[in-house]
Amino acid sequence: MSDYEPLIIAYTCYWCSYTAADLAGTSRIQYPPNVRIIRVQCSGMVHPNLVIDALTKGADGVLMCGCHPGDCHYREGNLRAQARADALDLMLEDFDLEPERFRLSWVAASEGPQFAQVVKDMVEELREIGPSIYK
Amino acid sequence: MAVKVAQEWFAICGGCEVTILDVGEPLIDLLAELEFVHMPVIMDHKLYGQTGEESKADIPEADVGILTGSIRNEENKELAELMRSRVNFLISMGSCACYGGVPALANQFAVDEIYQRVYQGNSTTDPGETPAEGLPALLDRVYAVHEVVDVDLMLPGCPTTPDMFVAAVMHLLKGTPFALETKSVCDQCPTIREQKTGEGITLKRPLESVEGVGEALETVRCFMEQGYLCQGPATRAGCGGMDGGTPRCIRAYMPCRGCFGPLTDQANPMVDMMGAISTIGLNPRDIPDRAAQFNRFAGSGRLRTKRR
Repeated sequence: MSDYEPLIIAYTCYWCSYTAADLAGTSRIQYPPNVRIIRVQCSGMVHPNLVIDALTKGADGVLMCGCHPGDCHYREGNLRAQARADALDLMLEDFDLEPERFRLSWVAASEGPQFAQVVKDMVEELREIGPSIYK
Repeated sequence: MAVKVAQEWFAICGGCEVTILDVGEPLIDLLAELEFVHMPVIMDHKLYGQTGEESKADIPEADVGILTGSIRNEENKELAELMRSRVNFLISMGSCACYGGVPALANQFAVDEIYQRVYQGNSTTDPGETPAEGLPALLDRVYAVHEVVDVDLMLPGCPTTPDMFVAAVMHLLKGTPFALETKSVCDQCPTIREQKTGEGITLKRPLESVEGVGEALETVRCFMEQGYLCQGPATRAGCGGMDGGTPRCIRAYMPCRGCFGPLTDQANPMVDMMGAISTIGLNPRDIPDRAAQFNRFAGSGRLRTKRR
């Protein structure tokens, strides 16, 4: 267990959250290297399949980040992401996965420190609950 | 020379055998080219010899084997392996054989829970002992045929359609190409999709009839947008016939139930459908028993034993 490092797949939207992650980097903010960031055009394009596939094929957690409600570049993409996240919260149970393994966070383009904090929090939580049963 | 066909059935209702009989007139031409050497549903050919004189079960050698039904117990498994060793080309026919089908709904429960429920915990019968003698034991879960033996061709559907059966047989006889449809039921559905998000739609029960019954389907609104759980987006097309006709249930003004199974072997209809309904504005919490609802015909390998 001691060498267990949680692996997080993060879907971040091009307009806000990816920029925030970029800002965290250029501002030299330290955060755990456990996250693998995948840039998507909008959080609303992350189908539940992508999340479930990641979780059942080796990821310990999935983080989905988008613009704050009302700020979506495509007006309502993040609201769609929210609706899908509700469905995902329900489905985690059907796959015997803990609710902590999936998280939806709103991170605006200027919120570099907040992005680093979300990743820190999630890594800590995943360290506590241990590796996924699909590993 | 006639092509020899052997057929065996496992956990199934018998509907797929009826499909073979339902072929109609083309069957007369087909029968001249086919010779059924083993088929419990229509002929009296016994596994242990006609008088039970053999000590080992056997199926005559054949060119084509057809297996219907899912693999539920030790006997099914043994016969599937025996069939595989006796035939050159094996077809799994029907959604039970391809994806577990309705019997695989039992995969939500452990085997001892099932025994307990059926023989002791049932409120309408007297509790009794679980019979053990002379019966094959249940496997740990229900399996699709391809999870136990190699399968050369899968013909899904509950039941599969007669013209798909004929097309598959003709493909074997003539060597013409045969492939399952790769589109979804929605791709062949003529109803109108007005907008992606339905404002203020609520979930309706399948017992309530859809708006526009009896009218031309081209003028009826998408059943999903009306609030019915139509499984078209996550279901393989093909039930309307080999020429891409209107899907069977849609033709009868009923929402799709997903009997042709998922679009790919990797897909999970529950995840697809939960994504689809939350996207169009239905509340995913309103879905009763989502895992079984959306994996009704594809439970093998997808439905997991519930934690209690």
